[in-house]
Amino acid sequence: MARLVPRSGDAVFANVERVNAELFTLTYGAIVRQLITDLEEVEEVNKQLDQMGYNIGIRLIDEFLAKSNVSRCVDFKETADVIAKVGFKMFLGVTASVTNWDADGTSCSLILEENPLVDFVELPDMYQGLHYCNILSGVIRGALEMVSMKTEVTWVRDMLRGDDAYELQVKLLKQVPEEYPYKDDE
Amino acid sequence: MIVCVAVVGHQNNPLYLQSFTDSDDDLKLHHIVHCSLDVIDDAVNNPKKTGPTLSETFLGLLYPSENYRVYGYLTNTKVKFIMVTTDLDVRDVDVRSFFRRFHAAYVNAVSNPFHVPGKKITSTTFAERVSGIVKSFGSSTPA
Repeated sequence: MARLVPRSGDAVFANVERVNAELFTLTYGAIVRQLITDLEEVEEVNKQLDQMGYNIGIRLIDEFLAKSNVSRCVDFKETADVIAKVGFKMFLGVTASVTNWDADGTSCSLILEENPLVDFVELPDMYQGLHYCNILSGVIRGALEMVSMKTEVTWVRDMLRGDDAYELQVKLLKQVPEEYPYKDDE
Repeated sequence: MIVCVAVVGHQNNPLYLQSFTDSDDDLKLHHIVHCSLDVIDDAVNNPKKTGPTLSETFLGLLYPSENYRVYGYLTNTKVKFIMVTTDLDVRDVDVRSFFRRFHAAYVNAVSNPFHVPGKKITSTTFAERVSGIVKSFGSSTPA
């Protein structure tokens, strides 16, 4: 059987099913709005969004691997590139750039110039502590955890707070060795 | 030159009111906007029996006075846009295109998840966009 060739983000994006961007944006806005009403505390909303993202991420990774034919990444740098170029393109239709590597290659920044989640959105003064797109950091964390990488994802820059781009810092905490559920001698 | 624009909700509650004059005749302009609401109500309740007016959002010249011309626009959700200008001979085409762009700006503003429908529009982006539209209206009109 011929080996499956990894597909580029554009190729995958061309083939996946898509929804109307405004429906997507407004749905996400409604979710965030409802969370604020329900939880009242901005910090709690951030946590909840992150948790929701995590739950999406641990499922999404399978779809991602199945549709993109990406092979095993040799190091974290390649992982970050794949997330930025293929992952973001496939699910959000945008690409991110990867910069700000630290010396040992365990931490980097994903920079999004545009973000379909935030069309129309303006953060009111009373919610300045809100990470509106916190769901994205949860998705990345959840997805990487399923491929045995413990990561910490934090927002560095946010256009809704007046910065010039969206910057997510992804930090590799540790690689969990794959464990088999059985032992050899059993 | 456009001196005042207003967005009025379906219960005639003001959603957005902005005047673009240096002098302090805000009150007078607001009064004009207020008066024109009656004209709109009149136009809506007693529609002319001709076909196209039913689906027409542009209400045309509402209220000519000595110094001002007041134009109105009614969306399908009964939100009214009112524009007061000092130009006494404005082309209909310009006013129509102004309202179309204004409508687009309004749609984006209410799509903000933090905007509560029926409450005042507090968005700064909307305010900036509206001033942009108002400014370009002045320049595109031949003197």
